[in-house]
Amino acid sequence: MSAVLALAIFLVAFFFIATEKANKVKVVLVAAGLMAVFGLVPGSEVFFSEHSGIDWNVIFLLFGMMIIVGIVKQTGVFDYLAIWAAKKARGRPYRLMVMLMVITAIASPFLDNVTTIMLVAPVTIVVCNRLRIAAQPYLIAEVLASNIGGAATLIGDPPNIIIGSRAGLTFTDFLVHMAPIVAVVFVVFVLLTKVLFRKSFQYNAEHVEAVMALQEKRAITDPAMLRRCLIVFTGVVIGFGLHAVLHLDPAIVALVGAGVMLLVTRADVNDVLAEVEWPTLTFFMGLFVMVAGLVHTGVIETVGTWAVSAFGDNYFAAATALLFGSSVLGAFFDNIPYVATMTPVVEGMVAEIPDAATGQSLWWAFALGADFGGNGTAVAASANVVALGIAARAGHRISFWQFTRYGIVVTLISTVMAWVYVWLRYF
Amino acid sequence: MSTAGQLAGRTERADAMQARDIAINVPTVTVDDPITKAVRVMAVNRLPGLIVVDDRARPWTVLPGTQVLRLAVPQSYQEDPALARVVDEGHADLFWMELADRTVGDVAPNHRAKPATVRADATLLEVAALMARQHSPLVAVIDDDGALVGAITLDRLITSLAVYTGED
Repeated sequence: MSAVLALAIFLVAFFFIATEKANKVKVVLVAAGLMAVFGLVPGSEVFFSEHSGIDWNVIFLLFGMMIIVGIVKQTGVFDYLAIWAAKKARGRPYRLMVMLMVITAIASPFLDNVTTIMLVAPVTIVVCNRLRIAAQPYLIAEVLASNIGGAATLIGDPPNIIIGSRAGLTFTDFLVHMAPIVAVVFVVFVLLTKVLFRKSFQYNAEHVEAVMALQEKRAITDPAMLRRCLIVFTGVVIGFGLHAVLHLDPAIVALVGAGVMLLVTRADVNDVLAEVEWPTLTFFMGLFVMVAGLVHTGVIETVGTWAVSAFGDNYFAAATALLFGSSVLGAFFDNIPYVATMTPVVEGMVAEIPDAATGQSLWWAFALGADFGGNGTAVAASANVVALGIAARAGHRISFWQFTRYGIVVTLISTVMAWVYVWLRYF
Repeated sequence: MSTAGQLAGRTERADAMQARDIAINVPTVTVDDPITKAVRVMAVNRLPGLIVVDDRARPWTVLPGTQVLRLAVPQSYQEDPALARVVDEGHADLFWMELADRTVGDVAPNHRAKPATVRADATLLEVAALMARQHSPLVAVIDDDGALVGAITLDRLITSLAVYTGED
């Protein structure tokens, strides 16, 4: 009975989250509250159980990175880079798109995708306005590049943070297993954009001078602060990479990095804390409690047992189902709640596999599917929604289908490439 | 007159003043009006802000002048000072043009504050407190049905207080 109740609460909440009929933070708080009030999840475990309560590693890793990013973005380095790139492209549309995609794809493994888009999209619009060309193709290409690039590391995409924490996978694990296929997919994607957006490329030579008039050097007002930020940021990334030596959780590295960056840059604490996305952190906490309700009442175990019996010892079939299933479902729902829900199921499947390396391959199939599924539709990932909002406010409205018709193609190709990679590397 | 008498007289006069007594007629805009028109209305009439009304002439929001500017400056420049810095002088004065034909409703904040409104029978203390609380130099005066009947500017309020309750 309690399982039915937990499932009912979860499904109703998921419906409201997926359809955006109500504020998603309110929805998860109400659902989490109901789970606790009806005794579907013990109160003590909500706060103190890493695997069946709020995963504080995820919350504090996100919190630390939000502080770091909040300071880095004050330096103006992204405005500088984007305008520098636009000037180098001299108004040539494909060259401009490639340079913007490369900047986005290099930034997104280290910053979350939403932040990357918030930094790159506005300056893209300024450049496109100067060139009197439509900004939509460039913005869509940047979002797709951001979701691809973000898949490369532990901190690049929120689904990876959840998977990394629950599966005990390190920053280096992600670099070794995810980055190679992400690099290949990105190169193919860059070539593909020449075909995908061929009808949108417009070269207005007479307006190039307007772009050359932009003063990128003025973006950086405090080079010393920028240097300090970059040094600390590099230290944080090295800290993530040295997990095997230092044995420090990524959340601890991020929090220490955030503290050091606050100290050395003398940034105003209140200004920086205002940059922290508290609704996002609250959403994650509520989501973990919702999923904990399903874990405690045995719903997840039932699904996991069914999955194990369905695939038996055909682990390649399980990886294939996870990859394509996650890609399809991740395309139609926000991939964060999807991953938070599915992670305990995958955990159960992996636990049944005697060989650790094969077990880990399921995690990579799951992560690749969920991350690349984020490109599937305009609502599949937070970065997509944010980009559409920025575009609309700037008068370059992107419709759901305008985004989705490119997103579906890129998701399909990247998922098939990921499947081939998983097959060749792990089976 | 004794001090007590002066205070009593002043209090009596202040009590006699209500929002309707100092309210003036001001031009308004709707959510469907272009932002360029809204800015022009404010500038031409030398208003410290703008009242945006709905289709039943009820205040939808009351925007202080700085918030009207907020509508007019593209959001990306407000959120990223570095982006505003890179725009060369030749183009910096032309940010208006980026607004094109966007309307007040297009760029109004999603989370609107409760409009700064007072009833026609509100005292000047209520009006002053509302202006101070909402950082708004403009307050809409409404009737019992919520329809706009006038507006009080900061200048008008200060002048009224000084003239009617000041020392002789």
